[in-house]
Amino acid sequence: MRLLKLAPALVLIVLMSFITPSLRAEEPPAKPAGPLPNETSCFNCHSQLDGAALEPTKLAAEDIHFQKGLSCHDCHGGDPTAIDDMDASHNPKKGWIGKPDRLHIPEFCAKCHSDATFMKRFDPRARVDQLSEYRTSVHGQKNAKGDGEVAVCVDCHQVHGIRAISDPRSPVYPTNVAETCAHCHADPKKMDPYNVPTNQFTEYKTSVHFHAIQEEGDLAAPTCNDCHGSHGATPPGVESVTSVCGTCHPREATLFRETEAKKKMDLSPCIRCMVCHSNHAILSPNDEMLGVGKDSTCTGCHAEGDSGYAAAAKMAQSIEALKGSLAQATSLLDRAERAGMEVSEDRFALQKAKDGLVESRVLAHSFDLERFLAAANGGIAAANAGVAAAKKAFAELRYRRVGLGLSLLVILAVILALAMKVKELGARPPA
Amino acid sequence: MSGGDSRLLGRLLDWLEERAGWSFLVDLGKKKQVPLHRHSLWYYLGGMTLFLFILQVVTGILLLLYYRASAEEAFESVQFIMTKVPFGWLIRSIHSWSANLLVFVLFVHMFSVFFMKAYRKPRELTWLSGMALLFLMLGFGFSGYLLPWNKLAFFATQVGTDMAGVLPVVGHFALRFLRGGEQVTGGTLTRFYGFHVAVLPALTTALLGLHLLLVQKHGMSVPPSIAAEHKPGGEAPKSMSFWPHFLLRDAIGWCAALGVLAALAALFPWELGEKADPFSPAPAGIRPEWYFAWMFQTLKYLPAHILGIEGELLGILGVGVAALVWVLVPFLDRSPAPGNRVSRLFTLAGWLALAFMAVMTVIVYLPQGH
Repeated sequence: MRLLKLAPALVLIVLMSFITPSLRAEEPPAKPAGPLPNETSCFNCHSQLDGAALEPTKLAAEDIHFQKGLSCHDCHGGDPTAIDDMDASHNPKKGWIGKPDRLHIPEFCAKCHSDATFMKRFDPRARVDQLSEYRTSVHGQKNAKGDGEVAVCVDCHQVHGIRAISDPRSPVYPTNVAETCAHCHADPKKMDPYNVPTNQFTEYKTSVHFHAIQEEGDLAAPTCNDCHGSHGATPPGVESVTSVCGTCHPREATLFRETEAKKKMDLSPCIRCMVCHSNHAILSPNDEMLGVGKDSTCTGCHAEGDSGYAAAAKMAQSIEALKGSLAQATSLLDRAERAGMEVSEDRFALQKAKDGLVESRVLAHSFDLERFLAAANGGIAAANAGVAAAKKAFAELRYRRVGLGLSLLVILAVILALAMKVKELGARPPA
Repeated sequence: MSGGDSRLLGRLLDWLEERAGWSFLVDLGKKKQVPLHRHSLWYYLGGMTLFLFILQVVTGILLLLYYRASAEEAFESVQFIMTKVPFGWLIRSIHSWSANLLVFVLFVHMFSVFFMKAYRKPRELTWLSGMALLFLMLGFGFSGYLLPWNKLAFFATQVGTDMAGVLPVVGHFALRFLRGGEQVTGGTLTRFYGFHVAVLPALTTALLGLHLLLVQKHGMSVPPSIAAEHKPGGEAPKSMSFWPHFLLRDAIGWCAALGVLAALAALFPWELGEKADPFSPAPAGIRPEWYFAWMFQTLKYLPAHILGIEGELLGILGVGVAALVWVLVPFLDRSPAPGNRVSRLFTLAGWLALAFMAVMTVIVYLPQGH
């Protein structure tokens, strides 16, 4: 009987043990210690002020720090609980530091951003090397020497209203980086004292990279920090240009280095990739860059009579021959297909010629005529096979039409014979 | 032919006659009379359909020698037929073109029989077997369309079998039965191949035998309007013997059809398209074979829901009911009296059905935006 009386309680316990985990899952996250970011004394007063004093409260809602539960006092110090008491809330004894000195902003931000334990509370993958990276940059080195004009964290990330780097509205989002850098680097007033040119952004806007990132929306395309580094921003040295470009163009970089090593050449005077492709105004490469024509980049170093000049001329000639054969094969196969011929296999085989063209364009970076010609000639052979296949298709088409004509004549003769027989039978009375 | 040769042939025929008695066929042909009147032209359509069917069988058997029914090899084997097999392109193109011509001629044959009221007593079974043959030919078309395993056929089959899946109660079973699973896969291809080269030919052979036997037994039907012109006891309608008069005329039509097919095959070889890729998106402008296009277009016009019932389901059921009424027409339009009201109603319905199918088909093939 006692067990029976206990039964409802037992059932309740079992039910609760089932329900509890789901209830737990819906519990709100623990409230952080202290007032909520928008309930601090800072907010209380500054939201009622005007102009620059009001601005931080307006930007706070979109600030990543604010969204993560941090508030004004986490950076500026002071007492966030001293509501309506300016002296108490701005008390230096409570850690109030006010507006940090521009020169020391990197260390100011690094208090948290270089603290791995602190940063992992928000993102276990967060990097904490920004300050040490910054110190390797031209900005960081000048800052360390007391130059208060060079870029510090807030120049790129903004002061208040700092957005996550994945936010498309952030000034350091890939599509915005170039413009952010250009704020200073396109301003002669700021750059003249350092003897730094200001045409980079204008040049970059003409480049294939800018086109890819801005017009095609390809976020993998490089912007300033992909070549110069983000926090460790520095102009790549002559030795590292190949490595920088090779990050995205590894095949070309490998071929370049192989040739340098194999032929014991020192191509550093050519500043490697830049001499042909430029740096900021990197245009979409074209075949006119190869050879000895007026748009050739080879003639910048090679003059008529030297072996490089002859090799460049030969390379350009092979590329043009391959393109010509490929265009002819494609056009003829198109025509054959429109005429109803089945040429899909030949089209597939023509891919070898296209591959040969791509391969030889890449192999131009090896400066090895033999390797280049092997690829180009392979492509030409495949393209010629395509032309031959198309011509064979046309011959087959002519054969079919002649065959059709003859067959129709035979059929017509049979029809005439049958018609004559019908006429002959028709003259007789029906059965 | 010299006198010696003809003597030899005569002796051979005599030898065969003694053992097989084949001359009864010639006698039958001579005895069989085909009525001669202003609508006699329509009588040739049955023979034309049979000729095209025989062409299908012959070219189909030749294609079988090279075709491989698997998702991995089907497309490549048809490509091989089109490019490497001597006259493979001709055989495949004739097979494809004559299949389409066959369905077209079959529809014309069916409508001519319908409008000439040739389904009436005692030819109800001839009509029923003919309708069954029509459905079998559509089955041939539907199953054969997938066999080259190209992109367009793959997605058209997916849409076509989806339609079967909409049917209440049996829909899911029908879909799985047709596809050999939930999706159109290589399993569907082998299944369709089985239908195309074994199941459907076996059924067609049996039904075609019955249909020809019934035609032979009842002879050609004279349309009521012609029959009314010849009162009983009066002058009998003119006629001609099946052999040689009618058959020779038939042969002229067959030769002409062969010429048309040869020209189509040589000037417009049947396209192969791209190999089917189940993971690629469906190509734009996907549509079934032209003889299913009217149904496809009708379903497109239907709203998503009609009186709470799915529009597509209602459309399919509507077409099904209409087809059933069409099949059962010999039992619904039985009065032999010429100018009978019910009879006129059926004739009108026939014209409306024909116009509807024609208009819907034309709309499908109009350029986009019309």
